[in-house]
Amino acid sequence: MFNNLEFFIVEALRSFRRGALMTVVAIGTITVTLVIFGVFLLLVVNLGNIVGNVSSGLDISAYVDQPITLEQAGAMQLELSKISGVQKVDFISRDEAWKKFKEDFSDQLEIGEIVQDNPLPHTFIVKVRTPDLIAPVAKIVSQKPGISNVRYSGKLIEQMKALVSAVRVGGSILVILVTIATLLIVVNTIRLTVLARETDIYIMKLVGATNTFVKYPFIIEGVLIGIIGGVLSFLVLKVSYDSLAFQVSTTLPFLPIVTNGFVLGVIYIIMVLLGSILGMLGAYISVSRVLKAEF
Amino acid sequence: MIQLINVSKTYPNGTDVLYNINLNIGKEEFVFVVGPSGAGKTTLMKLLYRDEKASSGKVIVDKVDVSALTPDQVPYLRRNIGIVFQDYKLLPKRTVFENVAFALRVTGAPRSSIRRKVMQALELVGMLRRANAFPDELSGGEKQRACIARAIVNAPPILLADEPTGNLDPTTSWDIIQLLDKINKRNTTVIVSTHNKSIVDDMKRRVVAIENGRIVRDQMLGGYNV
Repeated sequence: MFNNLEFFIVEALRSFRRGALMTVVAIGTITVTLVIFGVFLLLVVNLGNIVGNVSSGLDISAYVDQPITLEQAGAMQLELSKISGVQKVDFISRDEAWKKFKEDFSDQLEIGEIVQDNPLPHTFIVKVRTPDLIAPVAKIVSQKPGISNVRYSGKLIEQMKALVSAVRVGGSILVILVTIATLLIVVNTIRLTVLARETDIYIMKLVGATNTFVKYPFIIEGVLIGIIGGVLSFLVLKVSYDSLAFQVSTTLPFLPIVTNGFVLGVIYIIMVLLGSILGMLGAYISVSRVLKAEF
Repeated sequence: MIQLINVSKTYPNGTDVLYNINLNIGKEEFVFVVGPSGAGKTTLMKLLYRDEKASSGKVIVDKVDVSALTPDQVPYLRRNIGIVFQDYKLLPKRTVFENVAFALRVTGAPRSSIRRKVMQALELVGMLRRANAFPDELSGGEKQRACIARAIVNAPPILLADEPTGNLDPTTSWDIIQLLDKINKRNTTVIVSTHNKSIVDDMKRRVVAIENGRIVRDQMLGGYNV
Protein backbone atom coordinates (compact mmCIF):
# COMPACT_ATOMS: atom_id res chain seq x y z
CA MET A 1 0.00 0.00 0.00
CA PHE A 2 2.85 2.37 0.86
CA ASN A 3 4.38 1.55 -2.48
CA ASN A 4 1.07 2.43 -4.18
CA LEU A 5 0.62 5.57 -2.14
CA GLU A 6 3.77 7.00 -3.64
CA PHE A 7 2.46 6.15 -7.11
CA PHE A 8 -0.89 7.83 -6.37
CA ILE A 9 0.76 11.00 -5.15
CA VAL A 10 3.15 11.17 -8.09
CA GLU A 11 0.25 10.62 -10.51
CA ALA A 12 -1.86 13.24 -8.73
CA LEU A 13 0.91 15.85 -8.95
CA ARG A 14 1.51 15.00 -12.60
CA SER A 15 -2.16 15.53 -13.40
CA PHE A 16 -2.25 18.63 -11.21
CA ARG A 17 0.51 20.24 -13.27
CA ARG A 18 -0.92 19.15 -16.58
CA GLY A 19 -4.48 20.35 -16.10
CA ALA A 20 -3.28 23.83 -15.13
CA LEU A 21 -6.30 25.86 -16.30
CA MET A 22 -8.94 23.51 -14.93
CA THR A 23 -7.03 23.27 -11.68
CA VAL A 24 -7.00 27.05 -11.33
CA VAL A 25 -10.75 27.20 -12.03
CA ALA A 26 -11.47 24.54 -9.42
CA ILE A 27 -9.27 26.24 -6.82
CA GLY A 28 -10.93 29.60 -7.55
CA THR A 29 -14.42 28.14 -7.16
CA ILE A 30 -13.63 26.55 -3.84
CA THR A 31 -11.92 29.71 -2.62
CA VAL A 32 -14.94 31.91 -3.41
CA THR A 33 -17.38 29.56 -1.71
CA LEU A 34 -15.25 29.22 1.37
CA VAL A 35 -14.90 33.00 1.66
CA ILE A 36 -18.71 33.32 1.58
CA PHE A 37 -18.94 30.54 4.13
CA GLY A 38 -16.34 32.18 6.36
CA VAL A 39 -17.96 35.62 6.14
CA PHE A 40 -21.22 34.08 7.29
CA LEU A 41 -19.57 32.32 10.24
CA LEU A 42 -17.83 35.52 11.31
CA LEU A 43 -21.11 37.44 11.04
CA VAL A 44 -22.96 34.98 13.26
CA VAL A 45 -20.16 34.86 15.83
CA ASN A 46 -20.02 38.65 16.00
CA LEU A 47 -23.77 39.19 16.23
CA GLY A 48 -23.92 36.62 18.99
CA ASN A 49 -21.13 38.41 20.78
CA ILE A 50 -22.89 41.79 20.54
CA VAL A 51 -26.15 40.37 21.89
CA GLY A 52 -24.27 38.62 24.67
CA ASN A 53 -22.59 41.86 25.70
CA VAL A 54 -25.74 43.95 25.60
CA SER A 55 -28.00 41.51 27.40
CA SER A 56 -25.56 41.17 30.26
CA GLY A 57 -27.05 44.50 31.34
CA LEU A 58 -30.57 43.72 32.50
CA ASP A 59 -30.49 47.18 33.97
CA ILE A 60 -33.00 49.98 34.22
CA SER A 61 -31.56 53.40 34.92
CA ALA A 62 -33.94 55.62 36.89
CA TYR A 63 -32.98 59.30 37.15
CA VAL A 64 -33.81 61.80 39.89
CA ASP A 65 -33.41 65.39 38.71
CA GLN A 66 -33.96 67.11 42.04
CA PRO A 67 -31.67 67.41 45.03
CA ILE A 68 -32.29 64.64 47.62
CA THR A 69 -30.66 63.75 50.92
CA LEU A 70 -28.95 60.45 51.56
CA GLU A 71 -31.88 59.36 53.78
CA GLN A 72 -34.38 60.09 51.04
CA ALA A 73 -32.23 58.15 48.65
CA GLY A 74 -32.13 55.21 51.06
CA ALA A 75 -35.92 55.21 51.39
CA MET A 76 -36.39 55.31 47.63
CA GLN A 77 -33.87 52.50 47.15
CA LEU A 78 -35.85 50.34 49.62
CA GLU A 79 -39.12 51.12 47.90
CA LEU A 80 -37.77 50.30 44.47
CA SER A 81 -36.33 46.97 45.66
CA LYS A 82 -39.82 45.93 46.83
CA ILE A 83 -41.16 45.90 43.25
CA SER A 84 -41.65 42.27 42.21
CA GLY A 85 -39.06 41.01 39.69
CA VAL A 86 -36.38 43.34 40.97
CA GLN A 87 -33.18 41.63 41.97
CA LYS A 88 -31.07 44.48 43.18
CA VAL A 89 -31.09 48.28 43.35
CA ASP A 90 -27.94 50.40 43.44
CA PHE A 91 -27.75 54.11 44.09
CA ILE A 92 -25.23 56.28 42.31
CA SER A 93 -25.15 59.86 43.53
CA ARG A 94 -24.59 62.57 40.98
CA ASP A 95 -21.18 63.31 42.51
CA GLU A 96 -20.09 59.70 42.15
CA ALA A 97 -21.39 59.56 38.60
CA TRP A 98 -19.57 62.75 37.68
CA LYS A 99 -16.33 61.50 39.18
CA LYS A 100 -16.58 58.18 37.29
CA PHE A 101 -17.52 59.94 34.07
CA LYS A 102 -14.48 62.21 34.30
CA GLU A 103 -12.25 59.23 35.04
CA ASP A 104 -13.60 57.23 32.09
CA PHE A 105 -13.03 59.99 29.59
CA SER A 106 -10.03 61.68 31.15
CA ASP A 107 -7.69 60.49 28.43
CA GLN A 108 -9.93 61.74 25.64
CA LEU A 109 -10.94 65.20 26.71
CA GLU A 110 -10.76 67.56 29.65
CA ILE A 111 -14.44 67.68 30.55
CA GLY A 112 -13.73 69.76 33.60
CA GLU A 113 -12.51 72.52 31.34
CA ILE A 114 -15.64 72.55 29.23
CA VAL A 115 -18.34 71.99 31.82
CA GLN A 116 -17.77 73.43 35.27
CA ASP A 117 -20.99 72.29 36.94
CA ASN A 118 -21.96 68.67 37.32
CA PRO A 119 -24.73 68.10 34.74
CA LEU A 120 -25.59 64.55 35.86
CA PRO A 121 -28.65 63.48 37.89
CA HIS A 122 -28.78 61.01 40.79
CA THR A 123 -29.31 57.51 39.40
CA PHE A 124 -30.85 54.28 40.68
CA ILE A 125 -29.67 51.18 38.79
CA VAL A 126 -32.52 48.66 39.01
CA LYS A 127 -31.49 45.14 38.05
CA VAL A 128 -34.30 42.72 37.07
CA ARG A 129 -34.20 38.92 37.05
CA THR A 130 -35.10 38.20 33.41
CA PRO A 131 -35.11 40.27 30.20
CA ASP A 132 -38.91 40.15 29.79
CA LEU A 133 -39.34 41.81 33.21
CA ILE A 134 -37.52 44.94 32.09
CA ALA A 135 -40.44 46.68 30.38
CA PRO A 136 -43.13 46.16 33.12
CA VAL A 137 -40.73 46.96 35.97
CA ALA A 138 -39.53 50.08 34.18
CA LYS A 139 -43.13 51.26 33.90
CA ILE A 140 -43.73 50.86 37.66
CA VAL A 141 -40.41 52.55 38.46
CA SER A 142 -41.25 55.53 36.28
CA GLN A 143 -44.49 56.14 38.25
CA LYS A 144 -42.71 56.33 41.59
CA PRO A 145 -42.54 59.81 43.09
CA GLY A 146 -39.23 61.58 42.59
CA ILE A 147 -38.29 59.58 39.49
CA SER A 148 -38.10 61.89 36.51
CA ASN A 149 -36.95 59.60 33.78
CA VAL A 150 -36.32 55.88 33.05
CA ARG A 151 -33.96 54.28 30.49
CA TYR A 152 -33.51 50.64 29.48
CA SER A 153 -32.30 48.69 26.47
CA GLY A 154 -34.83 45.83 26.57
CA LYS A 155 -36.38 46.39 23.20
CA LEU A 156 -33.02 46.50 21.52
CA ILE A 157 -32.06 43.18 23.11
CA GLU A 158 -35.22 41.49 21.85
CA GLN A 159 -34.66 42.82 18.37
CA MET A 160 -31.02 41.75 18.36
CA LYS A 161 -31.96 38.26 19.49
CA ALA A 162 -34.52 37.96 16.69
CA LEU A 163 -31.93 39.21 14.23
CA VAL A 164 -29.33 36.70 15.37
CA SER A 165 -31.69 33.75 15.09
CA ALA A 166 -32.82 34.96 11.68
CA VAL A 167 -29.20 35.21 10.56
CA ARG A 168 -28.52 31.73 11.94
CA VAL A 169 -31.45 30.08 10.15
CA GLY A 170 -31.16 32.05 6.92
CA GLY A 171 -27.39 31.77 6.91
CA SER A 172 -27.45 28.02 7.48
CA ILE A 173 -29.77 27.57 4.50
CA LEU A 174 -27.55 29.87 2.45
CA VAL A 175 -24.41 27.96 3.42
CA ILE A 176 -26.00 24.60 2.58
CA LEU A 177 -27.09 25.91 -0.83
CA VAL A 178 -23.70 27.45 -1.54
CA THR A 179 -21.95 24.26 -0.45
CA ILE A 180 -24.12 22.14 -2.76
CA ALA A 181 -23.54 24.58 -5.62
CA THR A 182 -19.78 24.45 -5.04
CA LEU A 183 -19.83 20.69 -4.91
CA LEU A 184 -21.61 20.60 -8.29
CA ILE A 185 -19.15 23.05 -9.80
CA VAL A 186 -16.17 21.19 -8.37
CA VAL A 187 -17.59 17.87 -9.60
CA ASN A 188 -17.93 19.24 -13.12
CA THR A 189 -14.58 20.98 -13.08
CA ILE A 190 -12.73 17.89 -11.95
CA ARG A 191 -14.78 15.89 -14.45
CA LEU A 192 -13.14 17.89 -17.17
CA THR A 193 -9.70 17.00 -15.85
CA VAL A 194 -10.81 13.37 -15.68
CA LEU A 195 -12.16 13.43 -19.23
CA ALA A 196 -8.91 15.04 -20.40
CA ARG A 197 -7.17 11.92 -19.14
CA GLU A 198 -9.64 9.49 -20.66
CA THR A 199 -6.98 7.73 -22.73
CA ASP A 200 -4.80 7.28 -19.67
CA ILE A 201 -7.72 5.82 -17.77
CA TYR A 202 -8.63 3.53 -20.68
CA ILE A 203 -5.05 2.24 -20.86
CA MET A 204 -4.90 1.81 -17.09
CA LYS A 205 -8.08 -0.24 -17.25
CA LEU A 206 -6.77 -2.34 -20.15
CA VAL A 207 -3.58 -3.26 -18.34
CA GLY A 208 -5.63 -4.41 -15.37
CA ALA A 209 -5.95 -1.46 -12.99
CA THR A 210 -8.88 -1.67 -10.60
CA ASN A 211 -11.33 1.24 -10.40
CA THR A 212 -10.05 2.05 -6.94
CA PHE A 213 -6.54 2.30 -8.30
CA VAL A 214 -7.67 4.65 -11.07
CA LYS A 215 -9.60 6.81 -8.60
CA TYR A 216 -6.92 7.47 -5.97
CA PRO A 217 -4.74 9.91 -7.92
CA PHE A 218 -7.81 11.98 -8.80
CA ILE A 219 -9.01 11.99 -5.20
CA ILE A 220 -5.60 13.12 -3.97
CA GLU A 221 -5.64 15.81 -6.65
CA GLY A 222 -9.09 16.87 -5.40
CA VAL A 223 -7.92 17.07 -1.81
CA LEU A 224 -4.91 19.12 -2.93
CA ILE A 225 -7.16 21.52 -4.85
CA GLY A 226 -9.45 21.77 -1.82
CA ILE A 227 -6.63 22.48 0.62
CA ILE A 228 -5.14 25.18 -1.61
CA GLY A 229 -8.62 26.73 -1.99
CA GLY A 230 -9.06 26.54 1.78
CA VAL A 231 -5.73 28.19 2.53
CA LEU A 232 -6.34 30.94 -0.05
CA SER A 233 -9.78 31.72 1.38
CA PHE A 234 -8.27 31.71 4.86
CA LEU A 235 -5.67 34.28 3.80
CA VAL A 236 -8.28 36.46 2.07
CA LEU A 237 -10.59 36.34 5.05
CA LYS A 238 -7.92 36.81 7.71
CA VAL A 239 -6.41 39.87 6.04
CA SER A 240 -9.79 41.52 5.44
CA TYR A 241 -11.22 40.63 8.84
CA ASP A 242 -8.16 41.79 10.74
CA SER A 243 -8.16 45.15 8.98
CA LEU A 244 -11.94 45.46 9.47
CA ALA A 245 -11.61 44.61 13.16
CA PHE A 246 -8.90 47.24 13.49
CA GLN A 247 -11.08 49.86 11.76
CA VAL A 248 -14.06 49.05 13.96
CA SER A 249 -12.06 49.07 17.17
CA THR A 250 -10.73 52.54 16.42
CA THR A 251 -13.87 54.18 14.98
CA LEU A 252 -16.66 52.32 16.82
CA PRO A 253 -14.95 51.23 20.06
CA PHE A 254 -18.27 50.35 21.77
CA LEU A 255 -18.98 47.56 19.18
CA PRO A 256 -17.65 44.36 20.74
CA ILE A 257 -16.06 42.75 17.65
CA VAL A 258 -14.67 39.22 18.10
CA THR A 259 -10.87 39.15 18.19
CA ASN A 260 -10.52 35.95 20.18
CA GLY A 261 -7.77 33.98 18.44
CA PHE A 262 -9.22 30.62 19.40
CA VAL A 263 -12.70 31.29 17.97
CA LEU A 264 -11.24 32.71 14.76
CA GLY A 265 -8.76 29.84 14.53
CA VAL A 266 -11.60 27.31 14.75
CA ILE A 267 -13.46 29.12 11.95
CA TYR A 268 -10.37 29.13 9.74
CA ILE A 269 -9.66 25.46 10.40
CA ILE A 270 -13.27 24.59 9.53
CA MET A 271 -12.84 26.45 6.24
CA VAL A 272 -9.70 24.57 5.22
CA LEU A 273 -11.25 21.24 6.27
CA LEU A 274 -14.42 21.98 4.33
CA GLY A 275 -12.27 22.86 1.33
CA SER A 276 -10.44 19.55 1.37
CA ILE A 277 -13.69 17.62 1.90
CA LEU A 278 -15.31 19.45 -1.02
CA GLY A 279 -12.31 18.73 -3.24
CA MET A 280 -12.20 15.08 -2.26
CA LEU A 281 -15.94 14.54 -2.66
CA GLY A 282 -15.98 16.42 -5.96
CA ALA A 283 -13.15 14.29 -7.34
CA TYR A 284 -14.68 11.07 -6.07
CA ILE A 285 -18.10 11.76 -7.56
CA SER A 286 -16.76 12.90 -10.91
CA VAL A 287 -14.26 10.08 -11.40
CA SER A 288 -16.85 7.50 -10.34
CA ARG A 289 -19.33 8.92 -12.82
CA VAL A 290 -16.80 8.86 -15.65
CA LEU A 291 -15.72 5.30 -14.80
CA LYS A 292 -19.32 4.15 -14.69
CA ALA A 293 -20.28 5.84 -17.93
CA GLU A 294 -17.22 5.04 -20.02
CA PHE A 295 -15.68 1.80 -18.90
CA MET B 1 -7.05 -22.03 -22.85
CA ILE B 2 -9.70 -20.08 -24.73
CA GLN B 3 -13.14 -21.37 -25.58
CA LEU B 4 -16.06 -19.65 -27.24
CA ILE B 5 -19.36 -21.52 -27.12
CA ASN B 6 -22.28 -20.31 -29.28
CA VAL B 7 -21.20 -16.71 -28.85
CA SER B 8 -23.18 -13.93 -30.51
CA LYS B 9 -22.74 -10.21 -30.18
CA THR B 10 -25.27 -7.54 -31.03
CA TYR B 11 -24.41 -3.93 -30.24
CA PRO B 12 -27.01 -1.84 -28.41
CA ASN B 13 -27.79 0.06 -31.62
CA GLY B 14 -28.95 -3.23 -33.16
CA THR B 15 -25.91 -4.03 -35.32
CA ASP B 16 -25.14 -7.74 -35.34
CA VAL B 17 -21.40 -8.38 -35.32
CA LEU B 18 -20.86 -12.02 -34.42
CA TYR B 19 -23.16 -14.99 -34.93
CA ASN B 20 -22.94 -18.24 -33.11
CA ILE B 21 -19.15 -18.42 -32.83
CA ASN B 22 -17.61 -21.69 -31.62
CA LEU B 23 -13.85 -21.67 -31.17
CA ASN B 24 -11.28 -23.58 -29.15
CA ILE B 25 -7.72 -22.36 -28.72
CA GLY B 26 -5.28 -24.49 -26.78
CA LYS B 27 -2.41 -23.54 -24.52
CA GLU B 28 0.62 -21.96 -26.24
CA GLU B 29 -1.03 -21.99 -29.66
CA PHE B 30 -0.35 -19.31 -32.26
CA VAL B 31 -3.51 -18.36 -34.14
CA PHE B 32 -4.21 -15.86 -36.91
CA VAL B 33 -7.70 -14.42 -37.07
CA VAL B 34 -8.19 -13.14 -40.63
CA GLY B 35 -10.94 -11.48 -42.59
CA PRO B 36 -11.92 -8.21 -44.21
CA SER B 37 -12.39 -5.02 -42.19
CA GLY B 38 -15.68 -5.03 -40.35
CA ALA B 39 -15.89 -8.83 -40.29
CA GLY B 40 -15.86 -8.88 -36.47
CA LYS B 41 -12.19 -9.59 -35.68
CA THR B 42 -11.79 -6.69 -33.26
CA THR B 43 -15.06 -7.49 -31.52
CA LEU B 44 -13.93 -11.10 -31.10
CA MET B 45 -10.73 -9.87 -29.41
CA LYS B 46 -12.65 -7.43 -27.22
CA LEU B 47 -14.88 -10.24 -25.96
CA LEU B 48 -11.78 -12.03 -24.67
CA TYR B 49 -10.58 -9.17 -22.46
CA ARG B 50 -14.11 -8.07 -21.61
CA ASP B 51 -13.98 -4.72 -23.33
CA GLU B 52 -17.25 -5.99 -24.77
CA LYS B 53 -19.68 -8.45 -23.30
CA ALA B 54 -21.15 -11.30 -25.36
CA SER B 55 -24.89 -10.94 -26.00
CA SER B 56 -25.28 -14.70 -25.69
CA GLY B 57 -23.08 -17.76 -25.33
CA LYS B 58 -20.02 -18.39 -23.16
CA VAL B 59 -16.55 -16.91 -23.43
CA ILE B 60 -14.11 -18.94 -21.36
CA VAL B 61 -10.55 -17.70 -20.81
CA ASP B 62 -8.21 -19.77 -18.66
CA LYS B 63 -11.18 -21.72 -17.19
CA VAL B 64 -13.06 -18.54 -16.25
CA ASP B 65 -16.38 -17.56 -17.81
CA VAL B 66 -15.51 -14.02 -18.81
CA SER B 67 -19.10 -12.93 -19.49
CA ALA B 68 -20.05 -13.83 -15.91
CA LEU B 69 -17.37 -11.66 -14.30
CA THR B 70 -18.45 -8.70 -12.18
CA PRO B 71 -16.83 -5.34 -13.03
CA ASP B 72 -14.65 -5.75 -9.93
CA GLN B 73 -13.18 -8.98 -11.27
CA VAL B 74 -12.40 -7.74 -14.79
CA PRO B 75 -9.04 -6.10 -13.85
CA TYR B 76 -7.73 -9.47 -12.64
CA LEU B 77 -8.73 -11.12 -15.94
CA ARG B 78 -6.84 -8.43 -17.83
CA ARG B 79 -3.66 -8.98 -15.84
CA ASN B 80 -3.57 -12.41 -17.48
CA ILE B 81 -3.93 -11.03 -20.98
CA GLY B 82 -1.41 -8.84 -22.76
CA ILE B 83 -2.94 -6.62 -25.43
CA VAL B 84 -1.20 -5.12 -28.46
CA PHE B 85 -3.02 -2.44 -30.46
CA GLN B 86 -2.77 -1.25 -34.03
CA ASP B 87 -2.44 2.34 -32.77
CA TYR B 88 -0.09 1.33 -29.91
CA LYS B 89 -1.96 3.35 -27.22
CA LEU B 90 1.22 4.54 -25.56
CA LEU B 91 0.96 7.41 -23.07
CA PRO B 92 2.51 10.33 -24.97
CA LYS B 93 4.02 12.18 -22.01
CA ARG B 94 5.86 9.19 -20.61
CA THR B 95 9.05 7.52 -21.76
CA VAL B 96 9.14 3.98 -23.10
CA PHE B 97 10.36 2.80 -19.71
CA GLU B 98 7.55 4.59 -17.88
CA ASN B 99 4.94 3.27 -20.30
CA VAL B 100 6.03 -0.30 -19.70
CA ALA B 101 6.44 0.23 -15.96
CA PHE B 102 2.95 1.74 -15.85
CA ALA B 103 1.40 -1.65 -16.60
CA LEU B 104 3.18 -3.11 -13.59
CA ARG B 105 2.54 -0.20 -11.27
CA VAL B 106 -1.22 -0.25 -11.75
CA THR B 107 -1.24 -3.85 -10.63
CA GLY B 108 0.46 -2.77 -7.42
CA ALA B 109 3.70 -4.63 -8.15
CA PRO B 110 6.49 -3.99 -5.65
CA ARG B 111 8.82 -1.29 -6.80
CA SER B 112 11.95 -3.36 -6.41
CA SER B 113 10.89 -5.85 -9.06
CA ILE B 114 9.49 -3.30 -11.52
CA ARG B 115 12.80 -2.05 -12.86
CA ARG B 116 14.17 -5.53 -13.42
CA LYS B 117 10.99 -6.78 -15.17
CA VAL B 118 10.73 -3.70 -17.39
CA MET B 119 14.35 -4.07 -18.44
CA GLN B 120 13.83 -7.74 -19.26
CA ALA B 121 10.76 -6.95 -21.37
CA LEU B 122 12.56 -4.13 -23.19
CA GLU B 123 15.50 -6.40 -23.87
CA LEU B 124 13.22 -9.10 -25.26
CA VAL B 125 11.65 -6.67 -27.77
CA GLY B 126 15.00 -5.03 -28.55
CA MET B 127 14.13 -1.62 -27.12
CA LEU B 128 16.63 -1.39 -24.28
CA ARG B 129 18.55 1.51 -25.79
CA ARG B 130 15.32 3.44 -26.50
CA ALA B 131 14.10 3.13 -22.89
CA ASN B 132 14.28 6.87 -22.20
CA ALA B 133 12.72 8.03 -25.48
CA PHE B 134 9.22 9.48 -25.64
CA PRO B 135 6.67 7.89 -28.00
CA ASP B 136 6.76 10.74 -30.52
CA GLU B 137 10.50 10.21 -30.93
CA LEU B 138 9.94 6.61 -32.01
CA SER B 139 9.33 5.04 -35.42
CA GLY B 140 6.14 3.00 -35.95
CA GLY B 141 8.01 -0.26 -35.47
CA GLU B 142 9.61 0.98 -32.24
CA LYS B 143 6.24 2.11 -30.90
CA GLN B 144 4.84 -1.33 -31.60
CA ARG B 145 7.80 -2.93 -29.83
CA ALA B 146 7.21 -0.70 -26.82
CA CYS B 147 3.53 -1.66 -26.89
CA ILE B 148 4.47 -5.36 -26.99
CA ALA B 149 6.89 -4.88 -24.10
CA ARG B 150 4.08 -3.35 -22.07
CA ALA B 151 1.79 -6.25 -22.98
CA ILE B 152 4.24 -8.94 -21.86
CA VAL B 153 5.97 -7.25 -18.90
CA ASN B 154 3.46 -8.90 -16.59
CA ALA B 155 4.27 -12.34 -18.13
CA PRO B 156 0.65 -13.06 -19.05
CA PRO B 157 -0.24 -16.53 -20.39
CA ILE B 158 -2.18 -14.96 -23.28
CA LEU B 159 -1.17 -12.26 -25.76
CA LEU B 160 -3.77 -10.64 -28.04
CA ALA B 161 -2.59 -8.52 -30.96
CA ASP B 162 -5.28 -6.66 -32.89
CA GLU B 163 -3.92 -5.69 -36.32
CA PRO B 164 -0.41 -5.19 -34.89
CA THR B 165 1.07 -4.52 -38.32
CA GLY B 166 -1.78 -2.38 -39.64
CA ASN B 167 0.28 0.83 -39.60
CA LEU B 168 3.68 -0.65 -40.49
CA ASP B 169 5.67 -1.19 -43.67
CA PRO B 170 6.25 -4.81 -44.86
CA THR B 171 9.76 -5.25 -43.43
CA THR B 172 8.83 -3.84 -40.03
CA SER B 173 5.63 -5.89 -40.05
CA TRP B 174 7.67 -9.00 -40.56
CA ASP B 175 9.96 -8.09 -37.63
CA ILE B 176 6.96 -7.59 -35.39
CA ILE B 177 5.44 -10.95 -36.36
CA GLN B 178 8.80 -12.62 -35.69
CA LEU B 179 8.78 -11.00 -32.26
CA LEU B 180 5.26 -12.31 -31.55
CA ASP B 181 6.43 -15.75 -32.68
CA LYS B 182 9.35 -15.53 -30.26
CA ILE B 183 6.98 -14.66 -27.44
CA ASN B 184 4.76 -17.60 -28.42
CA LYS B 185 7.77 -19.92 -28.09
CA ARG B 186 8.18 -18.65 -24.51
CA ASN B 187 4.98 -20.48 -23.57
CA THR B 188 2.46 -17.76 -24.37
CA THR B 189 -0.77 -18.28 -26.25
CA VAL B 190 -0.76 -15.72 -29.06
CA ILE B 191 -3.76 -14.58 -31.09
CA VAL B 192 -3.12 -12.15 -33.94
CA SER B 193 -5.86 -10.55 -35.97
CA THR B 194 -4.67 -9.30 -39.34
CA HIS B 195 -5.47 -8.85 -42.97
CA ASN B 196 -1.84 -9.01 -44.00
CA LYS B 197 -1.93 -11.84 -46.53
CA SER B 198 1.80 -12.38 -47.06
CA ILE B 199 2.53 -12.73 -43.37
CA VAL B 200 -0.20 -15.28 -42.82
CA ASP B 201 0.88 -17.25 -45.88
CA ASP B 202 4.56 -17.25 -44.86
CA MET B 203 4.01 -18.19 -41.21
CA LYS B 204 1.90 -21.30 -41.92
CA ARG B 205 0.06 -21.30 -38.62
CA ARG B 206 -3.50 -21.99 -37.59
CA VAL B 207 -5.87 -19.61 -39.41
CA VAL B 208 -9.40 -18.73 -38.31
CA ALA B 209 -11.21 -16.81 -41.04
CA ILE B 210 -14.18 -14.62 -40.20
CA GLU B 211 -16.61 -13.15 -42.70
CA ASN B 212 -19.76 -11.22 -41.82
CA GLY B 213 -19.54 -12.29 -38.21
CA ARG B 214 -19.23 -16.02 -38.88
CA ILE B 215 -16.24 -18.37 -38.79
CA VAL B 216 -15.95 -19.57 -42.37
CA ARG B 217 -12.71 -21.53 -41.99
CA ASP B 218 -10.50 -22.91 -39.23
CA GLN B 219 -7.38 -24.49 -40.64
CA MET B 220 -4.12 -25.74 -39.17
CA LEU B 221 -0.99 -24.60 -41.07
CA GLY B 222 -3.25 -22.46 -43.22
CA GLY B 223 -2.84 -19.55 -45.59
CA TYR B 224 -4.80 -16.34 -45.91
CA ASN B 225 -7.03 -17.84 -48.60
CA VAL B 226 -8.18 -21.42 -49.05
